[in-house]
Amino acid sequence: MSNPTANFFDALDRRGHEPLLEEAVGSIRFDLEHDHEVDHWLVVIRRGDVHVSREESEADCVFTGSRAVFDRIVTGRSHVYAAWVRNELRAEGDVRLGRFLQRVMPGPPGAHHPREFARREIRPA
Amino acid sequence: MSDGLVRLLDGNTFVVSEETGDIDASPAIPTGFFSFDTRFLSKWILSINGERVNALTVEEVEYFESRFFVVPTVLTPLVDISVSAIRERSIGESFNERLTVINHEPGPVDLRIRIDIESDFADLFEIKDVRNKKGRHYARIEDGCLRLGYRRETFHRETLVSSTEPAHIDERGLTYDVRLEPHGEWVTDIRVRPLGVNGRDLRENLQGSPGRARRQIRQDLDRWLAEAPRLTCDSPTLAMTYRRSLADLAALRFMPLTGGGHALPAAGLPWFMAIFGRDSIFTSLQALPFAPDLAVTTLRLLALLQGVVLDNFREEEPGKMPHELRYGETIGFEEQPHSPYFGSADSTPLYVILLDEYERWTGDAATVRMLERSARAALHWIDEYGDIMGDGYVWYRRRNEKNGLENQCWKDSWDSISFRDGRLAGLPRATCELQGYAYDAKIRGARLAREFWNDPAYADRLEREAAELKQRFNRDFWVEDGEYYALALDGDGRQVDALSSNIGHLLWSGIVEESRAAKIAEHLLGDRLFSGWGVRTLAEGQGRYNPIGYHVGTVWPFDNAFIAWGLRRYGFTHEAGRIAEGIIDAAEFFDGRLPEAFGGYDRTLTRYPVLYPTACSPQAWSTGTPLLLLRTMLGMEPRGDHLVTRPAVPTGMGRIELLNIPGRWGRAGALGRARPERR
Repeated sequence: MSNPTANFFDALDRRGHEPLLEEAVGSIRFDLEHDHEVDHWLVVIRRGDVHVSREESEADCVFTGSRAVFDRIVTGRSHVYAAWVRNELRAEGDVRLGRFLQRVMPGPPGAHHPREFARREIRPA
Repeated sequence: MSDGLVRLLDGNTFVVSEETGDIDASPAIPTGFFSFDTRFLSKWILSINGERVNALTVEEVEYFESRFFVVPTVLTPLVDISVSAIRERSIGESFNERLTVINHEPGPVDLRIRIDIESDFADLFEIKDVRNKKGRHYARIEDGCLRLGYRRETFHRETLVSSTEPAHIDERGLTYDVRLEPHGEWVTDIRVRPLGVNGRDLRENLQGSPGRARRQIRQDLDRWLAEAPRLTCDSPTLAMTYRRSLADLAALRFMPLTGGGHALPAAGLPWFMAIFGRDSIFTSLQALPFAPDLAVTTLRLLALLQGVVLDNFREEEPGKMPHELRYGETIGFEEQPHSPYFGSADSTPLYVILLDEYERWTGDAATVRMLERSARAALHWIDEYGDIMGDGYVWYRRRNEKNGLENQCWKDSWDSISFRDGRLAGLPRATCELQGYAYDAKIRGARLAREFWNDPAYADRLEREAAELKQRFNRDFWVEDGEYYALALDGDGRQVDALSSNIGHLLWSGIVEESRAAKIAEHLLGDRLFSGWGVRTLAEGQGRYNPIGYHVGTVWPFDNAFIAWGLRRYGFTHEAGRIAEGIIDAAEFFDGRLPEAFGGYDRTLTRYPVLYPTACSPQAWSTGTPLLLLRTMLGMEPRGDHLVTRPAVPTGMGRIELLNIPGRWGRAGALGRARPERR
């Protein structure tokens, strides 16, 4: 069975260093509920060095939500900030760290480079 | 306020009410108690023995507290008032009202005191037309409190009303049946709390810690005023305007959830208490010599929100700086794009400009190094995503055609970019000031690369690109028959040839050829653009000119402050002084609070500046305007580790002394005196 959330965290861990996270120091834990269980993912960022584990330890920022919601976010089908505003995803602690993590989320599928809009008489959806 | 509304706020938690203190929201008069872009009270009406109250006076104590003196009778001469009430109101972590009812009769009175309460939980984007809310409203009475709620899927907001005196509570309000002894009084404290999921404090719900108490806000305001530079001057108008600006700027400071307890200037009070890229940057630039902390918070916050991916709905691109960020229901359900929305083509180059200017004043090299990646991404955006026509200019054309902005420059109304004959320009559009900002960003980016990022090759490249841009711009934008720069290029590369105030920003950016600067200064101070108070957004005689058209003829104080700065840059001190004096003169008519814009009528025609009606006052970049004008008149510039001044004070202004100016030199002073008028 596909598990976009697990794929996302595995890929993030494999990056090792991510320049987009160089201003960040801290830990973020994701408590993602599915099938009456809670999966824990702990992301530790130290000036761009990223390490992901399944530990359930203390973190500077904790996100809580369902895995289904997070699956949509990590595949670009849902926007992490919007999900937070509508309380599908809840945050505790240093929300700036959450903002950093948004930088490694994919954009929505089918988005265009503005050049593609510049000359053509196209009507975007 | 001239509109009869009273505003109280702490950041993005605010109340807008009538002069009686009542709230009775309607599409035409959007009053209410708001927090994080949601309305938590749409009705809050006091009545005594079935009579609504009338206002005697309103005392606006501070921006976060006020007192309303009211009576439950229509005021008529010779009729004695038997009962009156005082509503002492403050905003902090909650909306608090101390209601005191006083009996002025020699005998006891029985009173039924009632507060009608309702909440529509409207999103800020729907207050002009609250219909078809998709969620469910409810009202509950529990533990002596009234709990109003709204739920849409996981989105949940509640208003919790409690009172120190016991009340009869129903789903539509609180009632008190009280007997007041002769000359007696009765007091209750009512508290209204905005709540999020599971009944938690909204700020705590979103970020994990609650808002600030009133005492903290007051201490913070006192500290802010004490730290600001001290002005002594001959002009009472300038002194009043400066004091007012500092107090208003304090109110406009906004601590976003991601700000780590630091404040940046929001765009306008109360409706624009949010992060706006362009407004926060311009205001931070204006305030740099006075409150440099605003700039560093703005820079850090914008870097945090900087675009990473491509997104049509939000008009996001990698490296792009955000335009506006909101927290309401329509954002959560992706009906509005402000999460954040990125529809501005100028915020990104302006960000680099602010970063450089901030370092020049403060010497904070650590921040410049910390923000290197983000500044490089911003510079990259200019060429990769700003230059969508591939011709070396910054353009815009919205991809969100549902609710994106048509014009993504500071003149962002639909009709702002037109030809001399009034025709609107075709898309995409490359307005002239965007090219100036891009040029300046490259020049300043080069300095940062050379001095702080240890990358001289990149610095050389940026300087080469800037020089090419300047040359190209002076070839393609120069309107030969008018001898000024075109407002824009349209999608076919044609000059959009209206004469506009935008040419003044070009002086500020330094993209104007020396040989042409005098001509530009002449236009700016000429009859068509200069009204006597300031430079009009669009020149008289242009097809769309309208002295009370938002971006097509009004005078914008902020625009003028940057124009004056630009004029000084090219050595036109007298012209800069005329603008500074005109705008300060105008401020006198607004009690020192410059509006967003005022009418472009000729000064000799109306004798006073005609107010353009706008929803927000104060507006951040109008509030910052007197600060930048002071810098301009005193010729304040950082040179190495020193503050250099070259005062050029206009004749009517007399003497200006500014002490305690913060910067890399510690604290310094500046003194300027007008030269006596030559006979």
